[in-house]
Amino acid sequence: MTRIDKTFAALKREGRAGLVTFITAGDPDYETSLALLKGLPAAGADVIELGMPFSDPMADGPAIQASSLRALKAGQTMKKTLSLVREFRNEDQTTPIVLMGYYNPIYIYAVDRFVRDASEAGADGLIIVDLPPEEDEELRPAAVAAGLNLIRLATPTTDAKRLPAVLANTSGFVYYVSIAGITGTAAPDVTSVGAHVERIKAHTDLPIAIGFGVKSPEQVRDLAEVAEGVVVGSALVAAIAESLDADGKATGETKPKLLGLVEHLSAALRQPAEAAAV
Amino acid sequence: MTVKVKICGVRTPAILDAAVTAGADLAGLVFFAKSPRNLTIEQAGALAAAARGRVGTVAVMVDPDDALLEAVAGRVRPDILQLHGNETPERVAAIKERTGLSVFKAISVCESADVARARAYAGIADQILFDAKAGPDAALPGGNGVIFDWRILASAKQPFALSGGLDAGNVAEAIALTGAALVDVSSGVETAPGEKDAASSRNSLRRHERPPHNTPRLMSTVTDALNTYRGGPDEQGHFGIYGGRFVAETLMPLILDLERAYNDAKADASFQAEMDSHLATYVGRPSPLYFAERLTQHCGGAKIYFKREDLNHTGAHKVNNVLGQIMLALRMGKTRVIAETGAAMHGVATATLCAKFGLPCVVYMGAVDVARQKPNVLRMQMLGAEVRPVESGSKTLKDAMNDALRDWVANVHDTFYCIGTVAGPHPYPAMVRDFRVVIGRETREQMLEAEGRLPDSLIACIGGGSNAMGLFHPFLDEPEIEIYGVEAAGHGLDSGQHAASIAGGKPGVLHGNRTYLLMDEDGQIEEAHSISAGLDYPGIGPEHAWLNDVNRVKFLSATDDEAVAAFQLCSKLEGIIPALEPAHALARMFDIAATKPKDHVMVINLSGRGDKDLDSVASYLSARE
Repeated sequence: MTRIDKTFAALKREGRAGLVTFITAGDPDYETSLALLKGLPAAGADVIELGMPFSDPMADGPAIQASSLRALKAGQTMKKTLSLVREFRNEDQTTPIVLMGYYNPIYIYAVDRFVRDASEAGADGLIIVDLPPEEDEELRPAAVAAGLNLIRLATPTTDAKRLPAVLANTSGFVYYVSIAGITGTAAPDVTSVGAHVERIKAHTDLPIAIGFGVKSPEQVRDLAEVAEGVVVGSALVAAIAESLDADGKATGETKPKLLGLVEHLSAALRQPAEAAAV
Repeated sequence: MTVKVKICGVRTPAILDAAVTAGADLAGLVFFAKSPRNLTIEQAGALAAAARGRVGTVAVMVDPDDALLEAVAGRVRPDILQLHGNETPERVAAIKERTGLSVFKAISVCESADVARARAYAGIADQILFDAKAGPDAALPGGNGVIFDWRILASAKQPFALSGGLDAGNVAEAIALTGAALVDVSSGVETAPGEKDAASSRNSLRRHERPPHNTPRLMSTVTDALNTYRGGPDEQGHFGIYGGRFVAETLMPLILDLERAYNDAKADASFQAEMDSHLATYVGRPSPLYFAERLTQHCGGAKIYFKREDLNHTGAHKVNNVLGQIMLALRMGKTRVIAETGAAMHGVATATLCAKFGLPCVVYMGAVDVARQKPNVLRMQMLGAEVRPVESGSKTLKDAMNDALRDWVANVHDTFYCIGTVAGPHPYPAMVRDFRVVIGRETREQMLEAEGRLPDSLIACIGGGSNAMGLFHPFLDEPEIEIYGVEAAGHGLDSGQHAASIAGGKPGVLHGNRTYLLMDEDGQIEEAHSISAGLDYPGIGPEHAWLNDVNRVKFLSATDDEAVAAFQLCSKLEGIIPALEPAHALARMFDIAATKPKDHVMVINLSGRGDKDLDSVASYLSARE
């Protein structure tokens, strides 16, 4: 059982959905990013998605693109991203970290070396946006051998015929992309998302986390009704962006602003709906 | 999977040697009196002895009687028997029993129902070979070189062999469509019935050296086994290790749809006919092949010909591809078209065809390019397109492509993404190429007309590389033709400011495909630089990447300075103002032509006209003064 499996099993016992939080490694700089990372579990993050910055994040909206570029500008590299994971893992042995990003930096780092180093650093899973089942054979066996969960995305365009291929070899959880679009733009429609998630559940026992376009505690609570996890990303990196000074540097506001938002969102999953509505 | 190759109808030791050298897996010896390839037991015995340990032998027979079987098994001692007559399953079993040899059973097919006949031989024959069905008047019950609809065989369940009309030009497609495990190449590689040309046989099967990347998908099945440079991509869209479909899951079902629709259109003669008609009456094809006499004199060497793609409607080669894609968009019922553009020739072509066919059109264009290609921005707007300046990243072509992909993913149901070059996820590199090869096909015919022979060398500029692919592709399997691609070296390859992905990049993954890319040591994509907006892209089409690795195309580069000098020279000596993109190829062409003898014939793809670049060149020249 990986940390991800254990976390979702524990959430099930607690009877609530988990909050999956996304931030970009090295945004706005290495030290701040490490402090944010370390603060996330106490603020209520159940699973951490850590973005591996890429110059050309084609599937991401403006907020995550900007966070990626901030991190790169501050000198973030793959090596430093793995070192962030290692430093986090020294202090926290329970919160799962899923590395999320695009394939080129992994390919250039060298696939075998990457999965080995990521696993040794203490990462638990991988989401590689532009590596669909059709192409992932060059990474999947190595990732599985290294004990990493390979988490695939299912989307509104993934039809019934294609779904089994997407779910085969997926482990940890299934990431359901709530909208046909890029991150942090349109808001998902809970009714239609629910129907899609039901369809996926007919094919798998894995937990399902829903992401893309989730911003408010109300959305988090609504989506938690139909899935085991809710992912928030663009809203968090936007909060980081708002806290920076005119030169894009971290301020005293950065940490409280991000972690405050995480607490706020997390509360929606920990209180009965009626109480939260009051 | 490696596809095995059988050369059938081997009649002489020389042909046998050629088959062995070419890497054939099996050599076929024919025992059928009516065939021009018929052998006596003695001839066959000598050939089989010479083949032993070098290549497997197959004795091909039609309803053989026991006496013939006895003689062949005892005196020729082939590895396999191939039965081409009306042998029943019981007879096949008896022959196996009697001779102790493996048996291939040939099944003639011309329609889907015929495929089912193979089932009766399941578990009896060691391999089924599907062959073109002979017409009622044919003297031979197979091996007539008739090509049939290979898609019929898609329903066959077991690995099978395929024969009938295969040659180096079509065998790759046959494998792609049928998934055959073995191909039987026979009359396709000979000049007259019964006379196999050893050179041709060698040519059609010649194997490449492997490129220096240790990966199991090093060479696509087809090219590895059959050795044509024109066989790619494989069914997953790979050219060797390049190409593929590296896209987010949201787009994956769309590109699979597109692939299906494109394959349908390709097989539909009416689609091609309609396209040809538009190419003739709207685009103005064929474009002329022009002898550049004064430039030839100036260089003092090779004869220089221009393929005048600048004379197409819209002023560049881009329109050929866009026409195909917009017709496909309509066929797929899409109601909105998006495109990315650099120099905006693709944007203009897309806006033009959208106007003609009444589709709304959005063109993504880097803000830097919007500034340096003003006239084309106005043209697109005049044609009714919406131009969206892209402010992210380097604000050039790569960023325009990122934003076009973002638009597509958010508008999956109604939108067709019209990509302008031979890059992106499969099927784009192959599809865009197919819509461009009209350039090379015309050049071939026109050169035969002008010089009575094929050219000695070809040259074209390369950004993504679609104009180059259009010219090169029909000539790739002519090994004596030199082929040069010219990348943009910007301020120089050592300056860090260039757009030469092959010269200065390495294999990586971006925009849906694996190819050579400009990037830093951490895999972050670097900004390209070129005076020519159309070459200002940090990647190159995956098929070019592969052609580089297998050493079929030689990649050179030209700097901004060299391109502008060539731009000026061509304008003054020929009265043709070229676009800055082909000016890069002109620069290298002048060097190469000067070193060649006077009977050497060179063709450049003059891919576009230079009106759009007058501002850029003028400000470049005034800055230099």
